[in-house]
Amino acid sequence: MTRSPATMAALQAALQAEQAASYGYGIVGAHLGQGSARQAVATADWTAHLAAAEKLSSMISTLGGTPAPAAVAYQLPSPVRTAADAVTLAWTLEDAVARAYLGLVALPQLTLRRFGADQVRAAALRAEAWRGSTQAFPGLPATSLRS
Amino acid sequence: MSDDGGRLAPGQVSGLSRRALLTGAAAALPVVLTACKGVQALGSPPPPAPDVRTLEAAITAERAMVARYAEALRQVRSGAHAAVPGVLQAIQAEHAQHLTQLESRLTRPGGASPSPSASASASASPAAGAAPSLGSVLSGLETAEATASHRYLAQLGGLPPSLAQLFASIAASEATHVPYLHAARRGR
Repeated sequence: MTRSPATMAALQAALQAEQAASYGYGIVGAHLGQGSARQAVATADWTAHLAAAEKLSSMISTLGGTPAPAAVAYQLPSPVRTAADAVTLAWTLEDAVARAYLGLVALPQLTLRRFGADQVRAAALRAEAWRGSTQAFPGLPATSLRS
Repeated sequence: MSDDGGRLAPGQVSGLSRRALLTGAAAALPVVLTACKGVQALGSPPPPAPDVRTLEAAITAERAMVARYAEALRQVRSGAHAAVPGVLQAIQAEHAQHLTQLESRLTRPGGASPSPSASASASASPAAGAAPSLGSVLSGLETAEATASHRYLAQLGGLPPSLAQLFASIAASEATHVPYLHAARRGR
């Protein structure tokens, strides 16, 4: 696999999104009922994001790059005070993760495309579980859709 | 970036422009639309490039899905679980959006008709006359969605970056229809 600037940039962007999601799910879990089913889902999703971040770090290292370290804290898109806020944050995080992985899908290497697409799908499935509904174009910004 | 950037037409996807697409497009992610050059104005159109055929097959399959949901809505409207028609309509609307976006990526010089070779497997609807149960209608749709999602994922190779992104996004959307349908069946 070649280490092109585009490949590195896309992998680092996906890593950054996964790190932000890992941080965010800590907030999500803290605002859901202790021992509740929803908190268990948040914990499982948090674990998935940690594992994905680790995988991306390893892919970056294998290509000779240096994985960007996670930030100590991340700016939340909106304040989280209630369980409903936490659920909204969860799907917002998943949307951002899906968007970042679509960057990998644009790369020429088929293995990275497939990996990216599998992760977009995984993020969309987690988002569906939080939202209770589906989206026509997970990860694609409205500006990239033709009217 | 022109409005037509990233559209596919037979003959436009030369080897050169494909390389330009693949190498130049990854920087400004995830929205990647790159203009195709190389207009062939004269002569009969060359046979469609492989990704044009892929796109045409996807369009045919989405059209079949929209029709399949219309059929399912007819089947479940009488006495169905209250939430089910709304779920089916929501999913059908997303397939219609998929269809619109896929069609927007396709230009057909000379008004050539779409390739008839596209898979029609998604359009297989239950035999007329039978009265399928709600459960069998929904589980049939779940299977069709999973199949459709996998078909998009299997076709990522060789597509221009922006079309690969659209396919991946649609594959993800259709994968989420499976738990959405399942939840409707169980009355989430």
